[in-house]
Amino acid sequence: MTSQDNMPMTRAEKRQARRIRRFDNPWMNPKLTWGVAILLGIVAIGIIGRFVWNLDLVFTGSAPLKLPPLGAENLRGQPGVMEYPLGTDGAGRDMLALIIVGAPNTLFVGLLASLIGMSIGIFLGFSAGFIGGRVDDVIRVGADVMITIPPLLILVVFQSAFGDVTLTMMALLIAGFVWQSPTRLIRAQVLSMKQSGYVQMAQLSGASTTHIMFREMLPNLVPYLFGSFIASVTTSIVTAVGLEVLGLGPQRIPTLGRTIYEAINAGALIQNLWWWWGIPTLLLGVMFIGLLLINLGLDEVSNPRLRKLS
Amino acid sequence: MTDKPVLTLKDLSIEFPTPKGVVQAVKSLSLGIHKGRRVGFIGESGSGKTTTALAVMQMLAEPGRVSGGTIQLGDTDILSLGEEQMRRTRLSRVAYIPQGAMNSLNPIMRVEPQMWDAIIAHEGHTNRAELQRRSDEALESVGLPARAGKLYPHELSGGMKQRVCIAIGIILNPDLMIADEPTSALDVVTQRQVIQTLKNIQSRIGSGLMMIGHDMGLMAQTVDELAVLKDGELVEHGTVKQILEAPKHPYTKDLISSVPLVGGESFLNPDTRAAAPKRDSREPLLRFDGVRKDYGAVTALHPLSFTLQGDTPQIISIVGQSGSGKSTMGSIMLGFNPPSQGRVLYEGQDIAGMGATQSLEFRKNVQAVFQDPYACFNPFYRVDHALRFPFRRFGLAKSEAHTRQAMEEACAAVGLDPDMVLSRYPHQLSGGQRQRLIVARALMLSPKLLIADEPVSMVDASLRATILSNIYDLKDKYGISILYITHDLATAYHVSDFVMVLYKGQVVEAGPPKEVIGAPQHPYTRLLISSIPWPDLERSWGDGRDDWNPSHLEAEAQRAGSEFRGEVPGFDLVRA
Repeated sequence: MTSQDNMPMTRAEKRQARRIRRFDNPWMNPKLTWGVAILLGIVAIGIIGRFVWNLDLVFTGSAPLKLPPLGAENLRGQPGVMEYPLGTDGAGRDMLALIIVGAPNTLFVGLLASLIGMSIGIFLGFSAGFIGGRVDDVIRVGADVMITIPPLLILVVFQSAFGDVTLTMMALLIAGFVWQSPTRLIRAQVLSMKQSGYVQMAQLSGASTTHIMFREMLPNLVPYLFGSFIASVTTSIVTAVGLEVLGLGPQRIPTLGRTIYEAINAGALIQNLWWWWGIPTLLLGVMFIGLLLINLGLDEVSNPRLRKLS
Repeated sequence: MTDKPVLTLKDLSIEFPTPKGVVQAVKSLSLGIHKGRRVGFIGESGSGKTTTALAVMQMLAEPGRVSGGTIQLGDTDILSLGEEQMRRTRLSRVAYIPQGAMNSLNPIMRVEPQMWDAIIAHEGHTNRAELQRRSDEALESVGLPARAGKLYPHELSGGMKQRVCIAIGIILNPDLMIADEPTSALDVVTQRQVIQTLKNIQSRIGSGLMMIGHDMGLMAQTVDELAVLKDGELVEHGTVKQILEAPKHPYTKDLISSVPLVGGESFLNPDTRAAAPKRDSREPLLRFDGVRKDYGAVTALHPLSFTLQGDTPQIISIVGQSGSGKSTMGSIMLGFNPPSQGRVLYEGQDIAGMGATQSLEFRKNVQAVFQDPYACFNPFYRVDHALRFPFRRFGLAKSEAHTRQAMEEACAAVGLDPDMVLSRYPHQLSGGQRQRLIVARALMLSPKLLIADEPVSMVDASLRATILSNIYDLKDKYGISILYITHDLATAYHVSDFVMVLYKGQVVEAGPPKEVIGAPQHPYTRLLISSIPWPDLERSWGDGRDDWNPSHLEAEAQRAGSEFRGEVPGFDLVRA
């Protein structure tokens, strides 16, 4: 027995030990780690890029037109050059600079919109679940009606009426369409939690309503809130990009969606300027995969039944 | 023929590999069940009873596996059967009546087709008239009318659903029936009816019966042989008579003594009597003034008035079946549920119209222990949160060290090691430990009144007596008055000073326990008491004799007036 204990672990045993550690500490979830890493990577591009790259290159005509990325050739036979490593678009803007400015912008709209949406959702969900009665009826019906309205339809009308909007304005508009599902989710959770033994126990302990809401209920809602938050970030980004690709949204600020819109508008598909629309699309794809991984990871964290000893 | 058991378990071991190492759920279990015999498997949750039964059905949950030994069903080696052969064996040779039989029926199918499915799956296509004949026959054999087959599961009561499950179980005349706590979700009256049905049908088709349960009383009245399991090991096996009269293993002795008997020896030791805490008010502690509660058209509680003076500590028991209104009464007293009519007065003040300070004072002095110890702790916090928070909130804490000391003393008083439990998370503690912590919490706050709503119904049988005596100590040593809400007349008999029997929201019998439970007068009280299974072999509880007729007694109970059997000082029940 003792000799066995002193033996160095075999590779299989080490792997088993690692799996068990992962099982014990749910936050050591590979999906979650990768998802967070991908998103942080995109943020890092935005931050580091601002220091090492010349951001003036996002302006029209600041670079030669339609240059391909390094190692590729455009239809005119021009090779990619070091000055513009990801190529340039049809209006003479550097793709790398566009990404450095645009990718964080897109992420920002998504995060801000769902942050606002979640706050509204938490407030309304708690009010509906806790107060009940007439308040509950109004909030529930309101959320149910809003959920059936296609957001893009309304937003297109809004945006064409507003003309040019800022990123914040756009986030606010989108937030008006992402509060419904958190509201319903939180309302349902609050309703079931209100009946739970520990909330009754807290009432017995003379706890105030705010204490019950924020100290007893909210901590147990955190996994749901996280999951719901990530889901609404995804929805917000999809909505924002959808509007931008339609040519709506901010006109003067580079975003990934707007870059795709301009590429389509300038016939980039026909001219085989694949990097013009391809790079932002790819980046959006990576962003969504990151968000999806976080969501899956959080699901496993908050729901131990999904965890397995893979 | 007779010497070959229907089921032979030989050195059966079952293990579950988990992240923390391999758990041995069943350790070399050897046992035989003969044709026509009823064998009970008794033990606490986690002792391997259900796991053994599932292994016989080859239905072990992942990642469990049989690690050794054999299971023989007649001459067939179960473990060597393939998936398809096993499918053919299930139900036709071994029938399993699962624990939550009430939820085992398909809610969107009528009852009959679910029975036909079973026949068709084993015997292939059968004509409609034959199917109808056999399902009717099976339903009638479990005491249900044949037309019950035309109903959907939600149209049946719990007891009826359980019988339907038994009917499905016997429809193919199996050699062995496995009943896994078949009555755990039913109340005592229905329990007795279902067990009678099960025993009748089993002796008619002459199969073996493996009955799983944790209630010694029920087991003693149901089975011929008992197998006592503890931590996956068979610690004792013998006929019921042998085991009840001369239990060998200490654990078996514990199990037998944990069943409180009406009129039997008390498990409490009332040596000291503490005086009630000094009260400033001369008003009665709690007064119900014509309190009535309606849920829509249903009246859960008929107008009820009583006064609890609270100058001498007392335990008032409120007993009744589920749906009798006893828990409604508890939540009304706590102010969680406003009465539809009447007032609840705490020291002369209506609890519905209290200001913030009064309300806090009321909360401080009226505490509760709930039924479900698993739900009472917020999973987010360590368990000491549930003790520390109210202590501070009610202004009892002088300093952090004082809180700590009070918590430790309270834990020690209920027999918990404070260093072991206080810094744990709720899921790391057992149900019994959690319930004791809730009792410790009540003790720490030293209220004037404690409402204990079924405090032990979800705790393992062997711990019930301990927790009840902890609660009893609250009255005895700390002078707290207690309202004990329960369905268990035997414990009410022992702990209480006054008993109220509730039937459909009305007090049908009330008085000192020796009279009400010891010599019941009202037909409903008699029905309840006759339904309790005791580990007493002389009693005819489940032998299927026809002299026990619950529907008759219940009809009588509807007609009979309330019986009031004397009073105790300090508690005044207004006769309606």
